[in-house]
Amino acid sequence: MRLHAASTLALAALLAPARAIFEDDAYHIDFHHALIGLPKRGINFQKPYAASKASLLYAVSHEGAIGAINPRDGELVWRQIASSGLNATGLLRTGEDQDTVVSALGNHVAAWSAADGRIVWETSVDGATVEDLELLEQEDGITNSDAKDVLTLLSDQGLKRLDGKTGREKWTFQDTSGDTPLQISTSPTTVYYIALHTQLLGGAKLRVTSLSPITGKKIDQYTLSSEGEIQAPEHVLFAGANTAAPLLAWTDKSNKVLKINIIGTKGVSTFNAPTKDAVEKIVLHAPSRVNSLVHFLVEYHTATAHSAEVFHVDLKKGAISKAYSLPELKGQGAFTTTSSDANVYFTRITTEEVIVVSSVSHGILGRWPVKRISTLAGAYPIHGASEVVMKGGSASAVRSAVLFSNGQWVLIRNGEIAWSRPEFLSRSVSAVWAGLPEEEALAHELEVEGHQDVLTAYIHRVNRHIRDLKHFPTWVKNIPNRVLGSLVGKASDSLENIQNDNFGFHKFVVLATAAGQLAALDVGSQGKQIWHVDLAQLAPETVFEAPTLKAYRGYIEIKDSASQKSLYINSTTGGLLSSGDIKTQLSIEPKGQTLISFDLVDGDLKGFLGADISTQPIWSFTPPNGEKITGYTARPTKDPVASIGRVLGDRRVLYKYLNPNLVLVTAVLESTRTASFYLLDSASGQLLHAISHEGVDVSRPMPSTISENWLSYSVVIDSHSDASSRGYQLVVAELFESPLPDDRGPLRASSNSSTVQPSAASGDVTKPFVMSQTYQIPELISHMTVTQTKQGITSRELLVTCPDSNSIIGIPRHVIDPRRPIGRDPTSQEQSEGLTKYMPFIPFDPKWHLNHKYEVAGVKEVITSESGLESTSLVLAHGFDVFGTRVAPSFAFDVLGKGFNKIQMLLTVAALFVGVLFAAPLVGRKQINGMWTMPS
Amino acid sequence: MAAQPPPPPQWVLDLNSAPPSRPKNATYADPPGYTATSTSKQRSQSSKTPARQAPTPDEMDTLKMKKAWELAIAPAKQLPMNAIGMYMTGNTLQIFSIFMVFTLFKTPVLAVASIQRVFAPFETPGTSSRLLAVKAVYVLMNMLMLGLGIWKVNQMGLLPTTRSDWLAWEGERTWSERAVPREWL
Repeated sequence: MRLHAASTLALAALLAPARAIFEDDAYHIDFHHALIGLPKRGINFQKPYAASKASLLYAVSHEGAIGAINPRDGELVWRQIASSGLNATGLLRTGEDQDTVVSALGNHVAAWSAADGRIVWETSVDGATVEDLELLEQEDGITNSDAKDVLTLLSDQGLKRLDGKTGREKWTFQDTSGDTPLQISTSPTTVYYIALHTQLLGGAKLRVTSLSPITGKKIDQYTLSSEGEIQAPEHVLFAGANTAAPLLAWTDKSNKVLKINIIGTKGVSTFNAPTKDAVEKIVLHAPSRVNSLVHFLVEYHTATAHSAEVFHVDLKKGAISKAYSLPELKGQGAFTTTSSDANVYFTRITTEEVIVVSSVSHGILGRWPVKRISTLAGAYPIHGASEVVMKGGSASAVRSAVLFSNGQWVLIRNGEIAWSRPEFLSRSVSAVWAGLPEEEALAHELEVEGHQDVLTAYIHRVNRHIRDLKHFPTWVKNIPNRVLGSLVGKASDSLENIQNDNFGFHKFVVLATAAGQLAALDVGSQGKQIWHVDLAQLAPETVFEAPTLKAYRGYIEIKDSASQKSLYINSTTGGLLSSGDIKTQLSIEPKGQTLISFDLVDGDLKGFLGADISTQPIWSFTPPNGEKITGYTARPTKDPVASIGRVLGDRRVLYKYLNPNLVLVTAVLESTRTASFYLLDSASGQLLHAISHEGVDVSRPMPSTISENWLSYSVVIDSHSDASSRGYQLVVAELFESPLPDDRGPLRASSNSSTVQPSAASGDVTKPFVMSQTYQIPELISHMTVTQTKQGITSRELLVTCPDSNSIIGIPRHVIDPRRPIGRDPTSQEQSEGLTKYMPFIPFDPKWHLNHKYEVAGVKEVITSESGLESTSLVLAHGFDVFGTRVAPSFAFDVLGKGFNKIQMLLTVAALFVGVLFAAPLVGRKQINGMWTMPS
Repeated sequence: MAAQPPPPPQWVLDLNSAPPSRPKNATYADPPGYTATSTSKQRSQSSKTPARQAPTPDEMDTLKMKKAWELAIAPAKQLPMNAIGMYMTGNTLQIFSIFMVFTLFKTPVLAVASIQRVFAPFETPGTSSRLLAVKAVYVLMNMLMLGLGIWKVNQMGLLPTTRSDWLAWEGERTWSERAVPREWL
């Protein structure tokens, strides 16, 4: 009897300490989308060092990350994320024949090794942001072959020249005029500093100051009368192009006139937009090389079409003339500039084709139709970069790295999509698990059967089986493939196939970004994208700020704080469903229970009868001493419990306090640096337990989680605290019905209870017995959650996100068991429970890291789900990177490992069979002989 | 054709032919262990000597009872030996201790089941009433043996005597209220 299911739990817990990611599982069961975010304009193909044969793609993203991508397969080579956090302003400059790239993220200027992203030098300016960054290509007409010096334009500290090798400051030009600094531009001989001089009457003049690159002294200054057009810095389209003739272009508010000035001259050329329709956007593309022809392209976008014009600059006359125009095409497209020696090529990328033209004439040098793929449906190119291979006067090959409007960063190689990076996922705000459609359908059918009487249910089942027979021929046909695949094929091959999902590892996760992009990934097959929709296209009238998702059987509901209406999306195809098509279900179906909902209303947690919060609250919780509620964590709706008690070493039972209505409220008081945690029963609003911590750094995250009968949270005790232990602390508390073993507390063995009125006497409350322990941990935790399995038999694991080391760590439950004996060695009975002596410090074992070699950056949330196997839980982390894996906290006890040699097993069986074939006649003969000879 | 059997050896002839009777006047004694073939007269004389008296049924019964008691006590004699054996094997679940425990259960049960057969030889009209007590002791002794087995099984933790063994049949409480955060609805 001791070998009971309850005790297998303890057995599983004993096995757990050696748990880790197995080497052969790494990179197979998990996937990682290492993202850099939506790249800004100025994606660049550049050789990482002068002698390199291949080039890398360098980009800086709107999220403040810089990265180098291998253009061959789209893999990330290296990336650096702003230390000030995501969403910093970012600038990136790559120089030709340079082995470093220079970036400015926020106020932090750094040079990185172009090949591997190691830091070369860094400098930061306090209290200012870097407005512009340029490399000083030439000095007095001589190209500097060493590390090129860096010019930085700071928001209020003027212009600085930094040494390209060390990052030390060479000179500073202080601008005291109070103008808005805008751009830096360099010509071979001069540095130009462009600022906006705001007029009193509105509008702004462009002031161009020329500086000596050697001393930083002012040479000349002039203003351009642009007050008619320029109202804000956004109206300046372009400044720079480190060519022989740097350009300054601006436009008016309605984008009707384009004004271009060759920096250094005072003449302004004016051109009118070529289309009659309202131009929405004008983009100017100029080559960035010093020795390139001074040709540039201006791109005009209207709401429905786009066109471009190519201009030539006559350096001697200082005049700009229009050379030719590219015809207007329906839909949106992007242009890229490629310079090869002195020649300049423009590549036009539309949703249909890729066209290469030379800057000299409008003759088409190459044209490739673009093969459509599903992930780019409805999206159009925004901007990109191209590399063109010329052969005999025509373009023989072209590859373009293009950002599409739906956030996919795609490389189009001669019209074929070579790879696509789902960079839009870096802005995901909500994620939810959605089951496979077949599973959902089956679950629905079984539910139907469950509600019918025996006979109709039986007929229903027979009918269902007859209907299933149509899949039988294909199933039979697939058997040889499946058998062969499982014997000799790589395990990943069979995993790729969703149809053969015997273990339930294939689960869709649907991610929503802030802008309303929705994507479904299959966690079981390396995060493959199943579908991708843009809600802005499906439902143009709805505005999205921070959509939240909820999964139902077969569909997904999208709610947004900005709009009251919900959208429904088919979870299999991503198609929009009208609310009439679906049977709306409640996510929580109270069976004979009173439904109570609670929410934060005006800083207080209030409970309401039913789902309607307009009624009078039935309870309200206000934390004492003016503390402010910062958040709450409720026990998840799906939290199966295998055993309602904990079996002690002497085979007695400590009964778990299992209350589905537990909620842990976090409240802080900033003035006294206090953080309090209140455990409430959310049905009655009764306070069950309260813990308070002094000297807490309340600006740090205080994540918490509840599962089963235990809760966990983490706080940071700051260095000013009087407490004897400071730093990162992890608190774990376990709730029992009674401190005494074999006792079910005041409610005794009654099978039902009400928390509002647990016993006949009113105002009574059944409080749990709480055991808690605090541990010191080496790192800050920003988010925590618990693994989930189907039955809850497998021991749980606390999954914590450590933003400082970009990792996700699974802490086994037995390590943070509050029943660990303190100050003494465990007795033999405690040892048999798997308890070890309490140690105040938990070092994060490298084996606990789920992400092994991956660096999972910017994780905001980790979600877990059960798989088809009891041993295994699916995990997905999202926020910036997307990372998915599977964990088996008590080992994969219900599935054969990869090391299991099926062929050897079959050979053994075959050998035994052959042995039997030989031995059978021998034995038979011996038996017959034995019958015929006398025993004598 | 079977050949004529060879003539019997001398020792067979010697054995078959009686030795010449001892002369009457012989002064030497018979060799030890030799009994002279008695003559018919002598034979009649010897039959007259009083033979050992056949035991009476009462005596028989007493004897049988004695034997029966011995049999009834026998299991108890094995008890200390078994107890030491059980103690020595420890409380872990091993194939040997499981086999020993199994025999510990099997033997008494089988013994009690075949109690009639065991005591059948001692069953007479005179003893049948007295045998009841013997049988009772026999059963008791076997029960002691069984008790040892149960003690051992308990030591091994195989008896469902504690709360944890019945935990799986205890249910989670159902709560009459269900409270959820409003955004989950």
